[in-house]
Parts: sequence; C-alpha cells; structure tokens
Amino acid sequence: MKMLLVEDNERVTRFVTKGLQEAGHTADHADNGRDGLFLAASERYDVIIMDRMLPGNIDGLSLITALRQSGNQTPILILSALADVDERIKGLRAGGDDYLTKPFAFGELLARLDALGRRTRQDGTATTLEVADLKMDLLSRKVLRGTRQILLQPREFKLLEYLMRHAGQVVTRTMLLENVWDYHFDPQTNVVDVHISKLRQKIEPEPERSLLRTVRNAGYMLSAQ
Amino acid sequence: MARLMRSSATTLATGYVLLGILALVLFALPLGYAWRAADNDVRLQILAEDSQRLAEVFNRKGPAGLVNFINERVGLQIAGERILLLTDVDQKPLAGNVPGWPAGVPAEPGSYTTPIELDHHPTMVTLVRTELPGGYHLLVGRDVARLAPVMTRFWYGLTAAIAVLLVSGVVGGILIRRALLSRIHSIRETVSAIMHGELSHRLPTGSGSDELNTLSVTINRMLEQIEQLVHGVANVSNAIAHDLRTPLTELRSRLEELSLTRPAPPEAFAEIEAAVADVDRVISIFNALLRMAEIDTGMRRSGFVDVNLGELCAHAVEFYVPAAEIKDITLTYKDQAGSLHASGDQLLLAQAVNNLIDNALKYTPPGGAVTVCTVRPDEDAAAMVVTDTGPGMTAAQQVRATERFFRGDASRGTPGVGLGLSLVQAVARLHGGTLEFADQHPGLAATISFPRKS
Repeated sequence: MKMLLVEDNERVTRFVTKGLQEAGHTADHADNGRDGLFLAASERYDVIIMDRMLPGNIDGLSLITALRQSGNQTPILILSALADVDERIKGLRAGGDDYLTKPFAFGELLARLDALGRRTRQDGTATTLEVADLKMDLLSRKVLRGTRQILLQPREFKLLEYLMRHAGQVVTRTMLLENVWDYHFDPQTNVVDVHISKLRQKIEPEPERSLLRTVRNAGYMLSAQ
Repeated sequence: MARLMRSSATTLATGYVLLGILALVLFALPLGYAWRAADNDVRLQILAEDSQRLAEVFNRKGPAGLVNFINERVGLQIAGERILLLTDVDQKPLAGNVPGWPAGVPAEPGSYTTPIELDHHPTMVTLVRTELPGGYHLLVGRDVARLAPVMTRFWYGLTAAIAVLLVSGVVGGILIRRALLSRIHSIRETVSAIMHGELSHRLPTGSGSDELNTLSVTINRMLEQIEQLVHGVANVSNAIAHDLRTPLTELRSRLEELSLTRPAPPEAFAEIEAAVADVDRVISIFNALLRMAEIDTGMRRSGFVDVNLGELCAHAVEFYVPAAEIKDITLTYKDQAGSLHASGDQLLLAQAVNNLIDNALKYTPPGGAVTVCTVRPDEDAAAMVVTDTGPGMTAAQQVRATERFFRGDASRGTPGVGLGLSLVQAVARLHGGTLEFADQHPGLAATISFPRKS
C-alpha cells in the first residue's frame, strides 16, 4: 500500500517509515501541515497517518477537515500524544477514521493501517465470508468448517466475523476489544486471549489444520495457510 | 482609632445610628408641627366658646351685668392665665385683667394667633375679638408662651431619644464589632496556618446557622476536599515514584548491561524484547494514572448519557465468563432491579464493572463463584454489586483498598498495577456515588452506588 506519513518528530518518522517499508509498503513523508496537505491533495494514497500537533499554521485536525471538505475520502489514522477520550472524539469527528495514541507499538499501528487500507477495497455487500474451508453466512448466521456446522455464541460469531473480514491481516487485542466488545479502554487482562483460544477450539477441531495464528508481540491473524 | 474607623462593623454601626437619628427627627418634626397646630385649634375653639358665653351674659344682663361677671371671674382668678378685657366704644377698659387696650390687636373681630404688647412686652397670644352690641369690645385670649415649657419638654424628650439611640448604637456597634472581629480573627489565623502547610486545620464552627457559620462550614468542606486532593497528589507522586522506579531501574540496567557486554544477537534480542515489555508496563501505569486524573477533574460529566446498567453488567459478565471458566469459577449476572437505567458515562461505568469483576476473579479460589447484580437501593439510586467467595478483606484492607497502587497480599504474583479499585472509586465519585466493600464471610461484596439522575 502507498501511505503518507505527516509527522514532525524525526525518530518516530524513521521508525515508522522503516517499519512500513519492511512490511512491503511505500511511505511518503511530510514534516509539517502545509507539505502534508499539498501531498495528500496531489497524490493518491491508500492511507494517511497524521500527527495532530504539527509545526506551522496547519495542525493535524484542520488538515483533516480541509481534506474532507475538498471531498478527499482517503482513510486517515490519527497518531497523537493527546490521549483523552474527548481528544479522541474530536479527532474522529474531524474526519479521522482511527485514532492511536503515542507511545504505540509498531505492530498495533501496522495492523490498524492494514485494516483501514483494506476497508476501501472491501466489498461491503458480501453476505458470505470464506477463509480456506471456513465459511460464514452472514444472513443465516451459520458457520461451516468443511461440511461440519460450528455452533457459536453471538459474541463468538462477532469475533469470528471480525477476524474473517480482516483475513490475512494482523488483528491486535485492542482492535478486537474496540470492535467486538466496544470496550475503548484497556481492561489490563488477557481475557481476549481466552476468548480466542475458546474460538480456536471450536473452529479448529484438528490443530494441524490451523487457520487462526497468534502473531508474537502483535495479535492474531486468520489466514488460509 | 483609625483601625476602629476602618472596621466594617464600626462603619455599619455608625451608619445605622445616623440613619436612626435622621429617621427619628424626620418623624418628630411633622409630629411636633401637627401637635402644635391641633393644640392651637382647640385653644381657639375654647376661647371662642368662652367669648360666646360672655356675649350671652351681656345680652341677658346688659353691660353692667357683664362687667360684674368679669370682675367676679377675675376676682375668683378663674381667668387664670387668660386675657380678659371688656371696653367701651373708645376702647377704654371697663373690666378685665389687662390695664389697657393692647397694641397690635387686629382691627376686625375674629380669632387670631398674633403677637401683641402686654406689660410693654411683645407676647404671642391666641385671641378672640368680639364686637358686642352698643360698640362694646370684648377680648378673650391666652398667652401662648405659657405653653412653651410643654414644647420644650417635647424637644428634650426627642433629644434624650436621640442620645439613647446614639449610645446604644455605639455600644452595640462595638459589641458586634468585637464579636465579629474575634471570629474573623480566628478564621484568619486558621487560614494563615493552612497557608503555611498545616492542612489539617479547620475553621471554628458553632451550632448556629448564621451566615458566618454557614460560610465557615462551607469553607471547611472545601478545605477537606483540598486536603484530600493534596494528599491524593502526594500519595500518587510517591506511588508513581515507587511503582515506576522498579521497571525503570530494570530497564536501565538491562540496557546498560546490553551496551557494556554486547552479547550475541539472539541473547541481545531477547534482552531488547524484555526492555520493550518494561517500557510497556511503564506506559500502562502512566495511562491508568492519566485516565484517573481525567476522571477526577470531573470534566467528563458533560458527556453523561442514559446508560442501561443491566445490559452493561450482562455484557461485562459475558466478556469474563471464558476467563472464569478456566479458573473453574462460576460467573453469573443477576438482574435484581428490572431494566435499571441511569445517567452516566457508559465507557467509564463499563470499565468500573470490568475492574471489579477482574478483581473478584483474581481473589476467588477455584470452585468459587462471582456474582454481578444490578439493584435499586431506592427509586432515585442505582447500584452494581460484585460478590465473590474469596478471602474477603479485613476492615483495614477495605479502607486501603482504593488507595492507588495498593495490592492485597493475595494478589502478589498476579499481573496488574494496583490501580483498578482506585479507578472504580474515581468513576463512582464522578457519578456522585460511592464504592463500598462489605465482608460476606466468606467473600467480599463490592458495591458501586450512585444517584440515577446525577
């Protein structure tokens, strides 16, 4: 994916761009709001990563507002040290699609960028999801592994649906908490792991044909291989 | 003296005394005038009646009869202070107690209050002049000056009233000032002690409900809040220093050792990953503290919405059930309130209940049970209760439980930074409620209760 990073801190910039390149993405960089706005308006990006406090007259939020007003719908992830719930709401209201607070783990950032970039290309009207021989029918709410039907609790269904929608991507624990349970806080527990292992027992009766992998220091990934 | 004049109590007392005197004078002046006027009218009327009676005597008995009658009256001293004079056409006295026709008597018959010459002195008199048939003149009058002492006494009385007012005002003012000053002085002493850091001082309060007392009570409450905050900040700083020092020390030594020994890559990477984990721990403590600070400012009250507490608890229980199953603990939700709604912050209430459940699961031994209930203590209140079958808490522990970074002995070796319950308490406080613990023998019941409309 092609990404734009608007960030004035050099070390963070180097850390993020290097990480993105290693993950197979290309990243442009602007270290102030004006250049950021210019690049975002003139090039096509899959995702924009935006710091909120930028040098110069244009801060991150006004940049996002300007882009949205000009009809630019590129997904934007706000990366900011402002961590209050109110600040987060402000960021999302201005037109941001996701909000990550500093300091952050690179795995978390990458997973969220993947999810955002994928969203634009995803077909939102699909009624069935498929990963290898795991099939989910969103209308009848039936889940099949091969030919065998799997019975899931409503929340397990939602968890699996989220994983399948992001198949092939790393999904972090925080993303699961926010999107499956709607918990926008850190419960300081490993309960998500417990839910995952329970789900794993249900969808993977034979461990050798595993679909749901644990990605070290990041989260989980549901994929065919 | 200058200080006395500056005092607000003195100013007030002086002002009131002056105002009182002014009011008294304004009241007395028209009263005096009205009294004098009425008195004059009555006197004139009596004189008029008197001269009428004399005229009747004249009509019945003729001039000689009237002369006799007048002489009889003067002889009997009935006339008293009165002026009584009968003259002929030429104003030559025939009878009476005035030697001659006095100068200054108006020429026409009628009633007058006017100065005339009596014994060569100008005297203020009320006077009735009557013309009798045959050209005789009759004068009946009364010396007004004889009434002066009454008026003087009235003015004396007024002056005395003013004096009493003045004295009582000044004395009262001084007393009020002394009472007020002594209380203000004690307030000032307390406040300056507090300013010097002795936060435990409180303003003296009586049992009365006067303004100063009410103010003192309010200020005391504010002081309590401030003391709590200051101690809170001090505790937090200590706790932060203590709790962050440990991972920071580990981190520092790890990194220093790494740069000194320069181990082979696999070992180096393991060390680096451990260092990142240390940093993550520091960050999570920081986040928890910042979040609590955010809650404590009360700023989030503006974002209160209608929250379905039953749904919220059921949701939290559902979230923790798999974790409870692993520990062989039965985690259930009991709705004892029927659709319980309250105005609050959805996210914070959810986090509070999650923390309580997490805490209960941490302390409950395998085979135990954790129950979450929503209850309605009364029509205007809502409560969420998390009960466990763990070891419970001693009274001393219950007091300390919500202190930041406090961790029960049983929690040693379990993950967590010891901020969970203080966050729950901060959330309860934000909602105008409380977090309370009760020993269940065995087990512990933690209750968050708060007004439904806060």
